[in-house]
Amino acid sequence: MNVRLLAQTLRWNRLRLLAVGLAAFGWGALIPTVYVGFSDAFRQMVDSGILPEELLSFGSGNFFSVPGALTLGLEHPLAIAFVGIFAVGATVGAVAGERERGTLEVLLARPISRRELYATLMTAAVLLVGLVVAALLLGQVVGLAFQSLTSEVNLGWMPLVFLNGLLLWSAFAAFGMAASVSFDRHSPALGATMAFVLINYFLEILGSLWRDVQWSQQYSLFHYFQPGEILTGKADPFDFGVLILAVALPVIYALVVFPRRDLAAPS
Amino acid sequence: MHAEPMGTREAVIATRSLTKHYGNVHALVDLTLDVRAGEIFGFLGPNGAGKSTMIRTLLGFLHPTSGSATVLGLDVTTDSVEIRARTGYLPGGIALYDSLSGSDVLSYLNDLQGREAVRRDELCERLQMSPAVLRRRVRDYSRGMRQKIGVIQALQHDPELAILDEPTEGLDPLMQQAFYTLMDDLRAAGRTIFLSSHILSEVERICDQVAIIRSGHLMALQHVDELLARRKRKISLRWRGSAPDLSEVPGLADVVSKGDRIEATLLGEVAGFVRAIASPNLEDLTIEPARLEEAFMEYYAGDDASEEMRG
Repeated sequence: MNVRLLAQTLRWNRLRLLAVGLAAFGWGALIPTVYVGFSDAFRQMVDSGILPEELLSFGSGNFFSVPGALTLGLEHPLAIAFVGIFAVGATVGAVAGERERGTLEVLLARPISRRELYATLMTAAVLLVGLVVAALLLGQVVGLAFQSLTSEVNLGWMPLVFLNGLLLWSAFAAFGMAASVSFDRHSPALGATMAFVLINYFLEILGSLWRDVQWSQQYSLFHYFQPGEILTGKADPFDFGVLILAVALPVIYALVVFPRRDLAAPS
Repeated sequence: MHAEPMGTREAVIATRSLTKHYGNVHALVDLTLDVRAGEIFGFLGPNGAGKSTMIRTLLGFLHPTSGSATVLGLDVTTDSVEIRARTGYLPGGIALYDSLSGSDVLSYLNDLQGREAVRRDELCERLQMSPAVLRRRVRDYSRGMRQKIGVIQALQHDPELAILDEPTEGLDPLMQQAFYTLMDDLRAAGRTIFLSSHILSEVERICDQVAIIRSGHLMALQHVDELLARRKRKISLRWRGSAPDLSEVPGLADVVSKGDRIEATLLGEVAGFVRAIASPNLEDLTIEPARLEEAFMEYYAGDDASEEMRG
């Protein structure tokens, strides 16, 4: 790994990280407040039969318990957008974007192997994703404290929730990097990665809203992100195993394919 | 100029039957050449001839389809990182990080190079990149300024070998002259330069040896002096009295008499021709210098690509 390149990559993202991190923190802090304000109303709606319970759930999350609310906050499209800025936006541009701009030329003219370049950029992506996930979780903890709800969950499990979230988003980041090293242009890499994330998200949400196709969730990486289960002490090592595999496969692909690719002159 | 003949020096770049295909496109075909230490080697050809493919193969960006190549004695397919540690590279139409200042770009790239920028101050001064200019962001630079940053980043760490793709593209005539002088000094310091160009006068001015490439094939590989010595020169002479019989003069052809003026072309040694025409009747003699352009056009005769080349 190249420390100078890593430092410069992080420096280039620092303002964006600050803005996204603050927004993620704010969103995380808001969730316990929403829970306090609306959980009873949601429960009454379900009990009265106005709405089926599935329609007030979202992925693995809901507003009927504190762990469920925290999960919903982490799987909400806003949270996905915050983390996706780095897991998708930064990764697909890391190589394909530099190649399209022509700056990959001057970078690879230095004594840096392609594997070293990849490892450095992937490390930067994981760090950035990790910081946004940490901001989301920190916001939730602060929100819980503000609403005096800390006794409702075992906060000692939070590091494991962080690891679970980091693995989920690192899997998407690894896919984005694999796409980035495979294409000469930014657009196809972005398209492939966005499609991958959206299909995973669709399968997870579809299964949660429509019980007949609940089986679809097992094909979504989001299904293996289970903060609610972890916070109630029911973490499943299988979830972590699947996500580790989902990180490893694109990483191995990129490490094999990128050094073997021909990098023709930018058109 | 040189302490030892170039032919006896070690080959800094050596290719043997180097071939690169992209599907059905034959970008390089069976290319064999040596670039000796301490020489400036010109790689000539119009756009699409295979110049950039050759350079990118030497730096490990492209993998040869067949054949082999070494740079500084290192294999281009297995040792490209070490090659790039000892090489300076100016890509054609260089792109830089627009959000950084010129100074930050040079520092960043040099940090990644991992060697001290021993020549940066000198290069900035010679290419007129003042500290005030270097403090400006690259996005505000003209094309020529970007090119100067490109030249500086390639040479600032004083590499043993510099590979320069169209180095004077975008430079004004004054800066081109400064660049040529810089090349002369680098040669005197024993550095090796491999430059691609389609500016023939530039190659003629600074290069020791030249390779002409056409559609991936090596058409000529010669020292510039030798190449020029074999060119036809235009001769014009004015004669007093009746025209002399020049049919026996070696190398003279296309003789046309226009009154007291005779025009012809001369192939080969000038001294023999001058001896043959030495006469009190000779009033005026003009021998146009042989140009690389003519040699180049010979290899590209009838090819549209020749129109891309500039004298």
